[in-house]
Amino acid sequence: MSEDRPATGPRQRIERLGAAALDGLAATGQLAGMLGATWRGVVRGRRPPGEVANQMFVVGNKSLLFVAVTLGFIGMVMVYQSCLQLERITGDLSRIGPEFLKLLVQDFGPTITALMLATRVGAGIAAEIGSMVVTEQVDALRMSGVTPIDYLIAPRFIACVVMGAVLTVFGVAIAYLAGGLTAWSSFDLNPRLFFDPSRVGFLDLCLGLTKTLCYGMAIPVISGACGLRARGGSEGVGAATTAAVIGSSLAVIALDLVISGVGLLLVGHGR
Amino acid sequence: MRPAPPIRVSRLEKAFGRRRLLAGVDLDIPPGSRFGLIGPAAGGKSVLLKLLVGLIAADAGEVTIGDDKVTGASEDALMAVRQRVGMLFQNYALFDFLSVGENVAFPLVRRGVPRDEIDQRVRDRLRAVGLAGSEGKLPSELSGGMKKRVGIARATVARPEIVLYDEPTAGLDPVTTSKIYDLIRADQAETGCTVVAVSSDVDALVGFADRVAMLHQGEIRYQGPAAAVRDAGDPAVRQFVRGELEGPL
Amino acid sequence: MTGARRAALRSPIETLGATAMQVAREAGGITLLAGRVLRCLVPPSMDGRELTRNMYRMGNRSVPIVALTAFFVGGIMVIQAGMYVRQFNATGLVGWGAGYAIFREIGPVLIALMFSGRVGSNNTAELGTMTVTEGTMTVTEQLDGLRALAIDPIRYLIVPRVVAMMVMLFILTVVGDLVSIAGGMLFSRLLIGIDPSTFYYSLVDNLDWIDFVHGLVKSAVFGLSIALTSCYFGVSVRGGAVGVGRAVNAAVVAAAVSIMLLDFFLTFLLP
Repeated sequence: MSEDRPATGPRQRIERLGAAALDGLAATGQLAGMLGATWRGVVRGRRPPGEVANQMFVVGNKSLLFVAVTLGFIGMVMVYQSCLQLERITGDLSRIGPEFLKLLVQDFGPTITALMLATRVGAGIAAEIGSMVVTEQVDALRMSGVTPIDYLIAPRFIACVVMGAVLTVFGVAIAYLAGGLTAWSSFDLNPRLFFDPSRVGFLDLCLGLTKTLCYGMAIPVISGACGLRARGGSEGVGAATTAAVIGSSLAVIALDLVISGVGLLLVGHGR
Repeated sequence: MRPAPPIRVSRLEKAFGRRRLLAGVDLDIPPGSRFGLIGPAAGGKSVLLKLLVGLIAADAGEVTIGDDKVTGASEDALMAVRQRVGMLFQNYALFDFLSVGENVAFPLVRRGVPRDEIDQRVRDRLRAVGLAGSEGKLPSELSGGMKKRVGIARATVARPEIVLYDEPTAGLDPVTTSKIYDLIRADQAETGCTVVAVSSDVDALVGFADRVAMLHQGEIRYQGPAAAVRDAGDPAVRQFVRGELEGPL
Repeated sequence: MTGARRAALRSPIETLGATAMQVAREAGGITLLAGRVLRCLVPPSMDGRELTRNMYRMGNRSVPIVALTAFFVGGIMVIQAGMYVRQFNATGLVGWGAGYAIFREIGPVLIALMFSGRVGSNNTAELGTMTVTEGTMTVTEQLDGLRALAIDPIRYLIVPRVVAMMVMLFILTVVGDLVSIAGGMLFSRLLIGIDPSTFYYSLVDNLDWIDFVHGLVKSAVFGLSIALTSCYFGVSVRGGAVGVGRAVNAAVVAAAVSIMLLDFFLTFLLP
C-alpha cells in the first residue's frame, strides 16, 4: 500500500472517506460474488482428491492448541472479572455459571474462536495462496484448465466451516471449564452451582450455530480473495496476509453485531 | 495433430496504473514458426505473452488464436483455447505441493488421459529433457536449471499446438542454453507446433528463431525474418541487437 | 498428498514436544531482542525521525480499523447487556455494564488484536522483506547493508518501531474506548430505547478512573509484546516470499497468544 500524503483540508478528508466507503461497498459486493463462486466450486467438486481432508487436518491440527490456550485464558479472565463485580453488588454468585455458559454459547465462544482462527487460519490461507499467485503457480493452474476458486479455495472453505464448528464447540468447553476452575479456586464457588446448563435456550443455540457457520464461511472467502489478489513478490504476500487477517477479523465482528442484533430483536418480539 | 492456428494481435494496449506497457501492438505469428520476442528488460514482453492466452486482460485491442477470440472472452471460453497452448513461466511456476512426476502429468490428468498412458508420456518427456527417473522428487530438491527443464516438460507433455516460452534460458550457462534451444527445436520438428519465445539473451534467441519482433517502449519496432534483424532499418533495433553502447537507446 | 505432507503426521507427543521446543526457542529469541532494545532505551537514544515517521504511519493505518471495530464492539456489548435489561428492566445498568467490560477487558484486548493484525503484521512483512533473498533476482539484504555502513540496525530500525507501536497502541486504546462508548450509546438508543444521558450517568456514577487506567496499563504491555514479537519474526525470516508469509502468520499468532496470556496475568495483578 502506498503511503498517502496528508490531506490538505477537510474537503479532501471527506472525499477520501466517501471514496473509502464506496470501496468498502464494492469490496463487499465482490466478496458476495466470491462467496457464490465458492459455493458453486464446492458443489462442482473439481478439486484434488484428499485435499479437503488435508485442509481439515491443517486447520484443525494447527489451531487446536492455540484455541485451547486462548479460550482457556479468556474463560478465566471473564469469570474472574464478573465474579469480582457481582460480589461487590449482590454477593450472590450462584447464577454466574449458567449465565456464563449462555453467553459463551450464544456469542463469545463462536466469536473469540473465530477471531483466533482469522489470525491463524486466515493468515495461513492468504500466505499460501498469495505465494502461489506471486510465483505464477496460479497462472500455471489456469493454463491447465483449473479454476483457482474450485481448486484452492473450495477445499479450504469446506475445511473451515467444518473444523470451525468443531473448534468452537471445543473452545466453549475449554472456556467453561477454565471459568469454573477460576470461580472455584478464587471465590470458592461450588462447581455444582457453576456447571449448570439450564439457562441455555433454543435461541442461544441457534444464534451460536448461525454465527459459527457464518464465520466459518467468511474467513476462507475473505482470506482466499486477499491471497488471489496478491501482487509483487514478498511484499505482495505480506500485504495479502495483513489484509486477510484484518478483513476476516472485521467481518467476524460485523457479523457478530448483525446476528446478535437480530437475536435481540427476536427476543424482544418473543416477550 | 491439427495444424497449428495462426496467432494475430492487433492494436493491443495494456497499462498498469500510469505505466503504459503496450501502446498499440500488432503481431502476426504464422503457424509452425519459431517466433522470438526481444526487447529491453521489464519492457512488457512477459505481459504480452500472458495477454496472448488471456491470463491478463487487455485494455484495448484484439488477440485471436485461429478462429477463437481471446480478448474479452470469458474464463470458461479461455479454458478451451488454453487446451491448445502450453506455457513455460519465467520462474518455472512448478506446483510446490506436487512431485516432479505429478507436475508434468498435471495437464494430462486435467484432460482425462488414462493413467498408464500418462505415466508413459511423463517418462518420455522427462527423458527427453534429460531428467529421466526424477518423477518422485519434489521441486524444492531441484536446481534452477532442472526446474526449468521440468517446466518445459510440463508445457509440452500434452503436445499442444502452440508453446509459449517466457525466458527459457535466463540464468543458464551458454552450453545449457544451446541444449535447451536444441530441445525446443527438436520438439517443434516432431509436432509442427508454433513456438513463441521471449528472451533477454538476444544472440541465442535470434539464432534459434526464424521470425523476430522487438518490443520497445510499448511498440513493435521490428517484425520480420530473424536473419535480417541485425541490419534492420530502425537504428534502435540495430543498436539493441548488436549490443552497442552508442545509439538512440 | 505428497510425501512432505505425510511426514507431518507424526505422533501427537512428538508434535507437542516439537511445538514446545519451538515456543521456547522463540520466547528466548524475543527476550534477547527485548534486552537489546532496552539497552538502547536507557539512556534513550534513537533516530527521532524514524520514530515520528513510524508513529505517523502506524497511526494513519490503524485509526479507521480500530474506530470501526470499537464502534461495532460497543454495539455488541450493548446488545448482550440488552438481553438482561429486558429480563430485569434495569436500564440503569447498561452504561455501567458495557463500560466496565469495555474499559477493563474488551477494549484493550480487541484493539490490541486489531492493531497486531494491522500494524504488527505489516511491520513483520516490512522487516521480513528487508531481510530476505529473492531467488536469483535482486538480493534484498538491507539489514546487512545497514551494518556495512556502521549503523546498528537495532537502534535505527527496531527501537523506533517498538516505541512507536507502544505509544500508538496506547493512544488508539484511549480513542477506541471512547468510540466504543459512543457506539454503545448509539446502539442502546436505537435497539433498546435507552436515553444517552441515562447511559452516560450509569457509566460515570458506577465506574472509577481505576477501571479506565486498568485497561490502559494493559494496552501499554500489549503494545510492547506486539512490537517485540512482530520485530522478532520479521528479522528471522528465511526463504523468500513464502517465508515472509509464514513469518507474518507466526507473528500474528504469537502476538494473539501473548495478549491473552498477559491479559490473564494483568487481570489478577492489577487492581
